Amino acid sequence: MLHRMSAIPSVTSNDSALEAAVVDWLLASRMVLPPDFRIRLSVVDAVGSWEDNREVFLQGDVAIQAGDPAGWVHLNWRTAPARARIEAQQPEALVEVSREAVAKLDYFLRSFVLVTLIFIWKRAGHYHVHAASAIDSRGRGWMLIGASCSGKSTTTALLASRGWQVSTDDIAFLTSREDRAAVVGFRSPIALRPGGMELIGPAGGTQLESRLKTGYWPEELGATWVQTVEPDILVFTALGGERTMLTPMAAADVLAELLQWSLWVMFEPMAAQEHLDLLARLARQARCYRATLAPDLFAAPGALEDFLP
Amino acid sequence: MRDRRYLRHADLRLTDLEGEGVVLHLRSRRYFSVNATGLTILEALKQPRTFDELVAAVLGEYDVSTDVASETTRAFLDHCLATAVVEEVP
Repeated sequence: MLHRMSAIPSVTSNDSALEAAVVDWLLASRMVLPPDFRIRLSVVDAVGSWEDNREVFLQGDVAIQAGDPAGWVHLNWRTAPARARIEAQQPEALVEVSREAVAKLDYFLRSFVLVTLIFIWKRAGHYHVHAASAIDSRGRGWMLIGASCSGKSTTTALLASRGWQVSTDDIAFLTSREDRAAVVGFRSPIALRPGGMELIGPAGGTQLESRLKTGYWPEELGATWVQTVEPDILVFTALGGERTMLTPMAAADVLAELLQWSLWVMFEPMAAQEHLDLLARLARQARCYRATLAPDLFAAPGALEDFLP
Repeated sequence: MRDRRYLRHADLRLTDLEGEGVVLHLRSRRYFSVNATGLTILEALKQPRTFDELVAAVLGEYDVSTDVASETTRAFLDHCLATAVVEEVP
């Protein structure tokens, strides 16, 4: 029996369709995998439970146990039976998956596997931030940071339609690039809700049924995709009002906000100092603003960059 | 009393930003900011220190009187002890 040679041999599974789906998803993300990266996905009839007395922290629908004294990370998915163990030092994970979880493949990848990978990339000095990132026509790097429904994706789609280079609308990884902080984008479709689609008005796209959104690759909106952005401008986004407003922020407030959107810093003592220092470097290198985004942003031809000469 | 030694909690991580400090308390998953003097004291408490050593650390960084340095250090240390950020060690 012949087996297809995987494009990422370090991803293995007893279920060839699941293995192929994870490999394709990782390849599409364009993320560089750490040396010694390894993930083994076992589809099983019954997913076991960890014997672990550490405090459980719930991030979305993923239950996390991490840090001392064990060192390794245990994850449990609340949506369907699945669990993962990430080694303490190495970028390696063992994942047990139920058929029920495999049946929700898209959501399983974006929820549970992504959190698994967030801990794996952390072991290679890449720290997840819930943010969008892009480069404007003047070559300035931007990060838009905030909660879901705070306008990040819709604004990213707007910027893409204006020809900005877009990295990600949602999944960014902070890393060190010489003496600067940079963000590496996980390439995936910009996901718009119906309201966002009405503002941008693009045709086409792909239905993301599990998320009730429509996805657009940056190129479909007129942008080019760029993997890495060195942020010069940070914008913490919220929706509201009739006019878009940007207010400068003090550095300590910026760092406090960044911590909220990169909460992984709290989980593992070994990397916490490096992660914290990187967030502080980001706050130092960028001009930082709190923004309320309003519909006028979509009527103004200059869009966001005109607010910040 | 003055022989007591203090140490910041091992789960603490701190960084400075434009003269202020941001402190993570990993065990409680809380973070808070401190002023420059607080940052000086917490940095000194990476190793066990007596109260007088902490006052000396403040005097080494800031042009203030010994009385002011002592009052500031006492207030900050009491707050840190009350919130389990710093502990007394043998």
